[in-house]
Amino acid sequence: MPSAERKPEIVELIWPGHRCEKVTLEATGKSGGAGEIYSIDGKPGFVAKIYHAATAQAHLARYRHKIEWMVDNKPALPPVPADYRDIVQLAWPEALILRQSRFIGFAMQKIAFDRTLELDYLLNRRQAAQEGFDADYGKLVTVSFNLASIIHCLHQRRIAIVDLKPMNVKVYKAELYVSILDCDGFHIDTDEFSADAPQVTPEYLAPEFQDKAVAYPESQDRFALAAIIFRLLNYGIHPFTGVASGHHNYPQELAGRIKQGLYPYRKIAHKGLRKVPASVHEAFPDSLRDLFDRAFASSGYSRPSAREWAGALETYASKHSGQMSMCDQGHLRFSGRPCPTCMRDALIHGAEVRRRSFLARVQTAPVRTLKYLKKTLRQTHSSPFQAALAQAQQFNLVQLAPPAPISTRNAIALEILWIIGLAVAYWWTK
Amino acid sequence: MSQATATALWVLPLLAAWLWRPRQVVSPCGWMLLIAFGALGAWALWFGLYAPGGEPVSFEFWKPTVLYWTLAAITVMAPVLGFGYPAKIILGAYFAFSNREWRWINRGVAVVFTISGGANLLVASGASYKDWVGFKFACMMNLLIIVLFRLNFVWLPILADVFIHLYRRTSAAYRYLSRLF
Repeated sequence: MPSAERKPEIVELIWPGHRCEKVTLEATGKSGGAGEIYSIDGKPGFVAKIYHAATAQAHLARYRHKIEWMVDNKPALPPVPADYRDIVQLAWPEALILRQSRFIGFAMQKIAFDRTLELDYLLNRRQAAQEGFDADYGKLVTVSFNLASIIHCLHQRRIAIVDLKPMNVKVYKAELYVSILDCDGFHIDTDEFSADAPQVTPEYLAPEFQDKAVAYPESQDRFALAAIIFRLLNYGIHPFTGVASGHHNYPQELAGRIKQGLYPYRKIAHKGLRKVPASVHEAFPDSLRDLFDRAFASSGYSRPSAREWAGALETYASKHSGQMSMCDQGHLRFSGRPCPTCMRDALIHGAEVRRRSFLARVQTAPVRTLKYLKKTLRQTHSSPFQAALAQAQQFNLVQLAPPAPISTRNAIALEILWIIGLAVAYWWTK
Repeated sequence: MSQATATALWVLPLLAAWLWRPRQVVSPCGWMLLIAFGALGAWALWFGLYAPGGEPVSFEFWKPTVLYWTLAAITVMAPVLGFGYPAKIILGAYFAFSNREWRWINRGVAVVFTISGGANLLVASGASYKDWVGFKFACMMNLLIIVLFRLNFVWLPILADVFIHLYRRTSAAYRYLSRLF
C-alpha cells in the first residue's frame, strides 16, 4: 500500500526540556534510505522523519541516544538577516518522536522545497536554469561561501558531516543560503557525547580514507567541501576527472583516481595527466587555486579548513569588495582573471563549430565524390606537379615546362618494354 | 617444359612488344638500354633454356656486377656521347627537372650502380655462399623500388586513361543504342 494512503497516526513529540505534545502524522510519500518523511498536523514549519519499521532495535537505541543529544545541543549557525528568518540552514533534529513510549524518529524544521533546489542542479547550468536558478559566478561563490560557513560552525562544535555531497545540500534559489540534510548521520565527537557516521560516498571521500574507516572526519569534510566548491566553480567537472597521457594504470573510477592523487588541475602540471578540455580552472584567482592544490594535491594535514575557505570566498562573495567584475560580455568574473563564462562559451562554441563542420563534410561527401569522379573522367584534375610548380613559383625557383604528353598507346608500348627489361634484370640476377 | 613452350614464353612477349612498339622517336640512350637488356636477356635465355650448365660456374658471382656495371657504364657514357640522360628514362618522363638537375640525378644513379656492382664482388669474395645469395636478393630491392615507382606514377595513370577511354566508348555506345530504341 502506498505510504500516502496510510491512515494518520497519533504520536508524541518530546521537545527540549522534556515538554510533551501529542500530534498527528500524515505520510508525504517521500522516503530515504533510513526513514520516511511525514508532515505534522498543526505544525506546518516542521516535518517528521520516522525510521523504517525494519530498523533493528539496537540501531534505534543508538539513534535515540544521538537524537536526544542533538535535540539538546543545536549548534549556533551563521546569522541570517531578519527578513530570512524562515530559512533553515540545517535539517537538525528539534524533537524526539515516540509511539507508545517507543522511539521511532524525530521532528525537524521543514525546508521549503519550492524555494530550494539541490546543489547537484547547480553543477549543470542548464538544469539550474530549468529549476529557475540563473547561475553566475557571483551566486556560485556566494553559495560556496555559505556552505563553507555552515561547515565551519559545525566543525567548531566538533561535529562533522562525513557524507558531504551535493545531493545532501539544498540551496535557496533567491537567498543563496544553503541547507544541509540528513543531520542524523553526522559524526559527533564532543567531551560528553560521541557518535560515528558510517555512511560515505567514494566520489567525495578523501584519499587517505578510501577503503578505510574515516579516522579524521573533519579532514574528510575539508576534502568534500573543496571538491564541491571546485565542481560548483568549474561547471560540474570533478577535480579528479582528467585525461591520462602516458599514465599506465589510470583508474576508471573516480575513487581510484582520488586514492592515487591524480589531480590534473594543480598549478604545476601533473606529469602524465591532462585536464579536461572544457575546464575553466585557469580563470580562478591564485588564492583559490592554492587552496585547491592544498586540498587535492597535498597530504590531509595541510588541507584547507572550512574557515580558510570561508575567508577566501568572503571577499569574492561580497559585492563591495570589488574582487568580482564584469567582463565585456557582461559576465561576472574574478577581477584580473579571464572570464570563465566566456572561456567556457569559446570551448563549447569551438566544439560546436567543429561538430557542424564535420557534419557538413559528411553531408556533402557524396556530392564531392561525384565531382571528383567527373573530374577524373573528364581529365580535368589539376596535376599535383602543376601544384608543385605553383608552389615553387612562390620561392622564385626556375619554372620548367612539363614533359610533353605522350599518347596512351605509346605509354603502354614503353611500359611493355619496361616490364620485359625488369624481367630480364630479375632473371639475370637470380 | 618443352622447348616449344619455352620458346613461346619469350617469343610472345617480344611479339607483343614489337606490335605495340612505341610510335615515337626513341632517344639514343634508350637504344643503348634496349641493346644492353637485349644482350643480357639473350644470354640469360640461351643458358637458361637452351644450354643449361653451359655457363662458366664462377660467372654466377659476376652476373649482378655485370648488370650493375653495364647500367653504370651506360649512365656515365650516354651523356658523354651526347645521347641524353638514361636516368630520365629510368625515373619516367613525369618529372619536370632542368638538364642540370637531370645531370646530377644521372650521376647519382651511376654511383649507386657502381657501388652495388663493387659491393657484390666484395661480398661474393668474402662471405659464405648463403650470405652472398641473401645480399644479392637484398640488392634486388632496387628493382622493387623501380616497380613501385612506375606503378604509382606511370601504370596507374595509364590504367586511368584506359578506363576513361572505355568509359567514353561505353557512353557513346549507350547513346547509339538509346537512339536505336
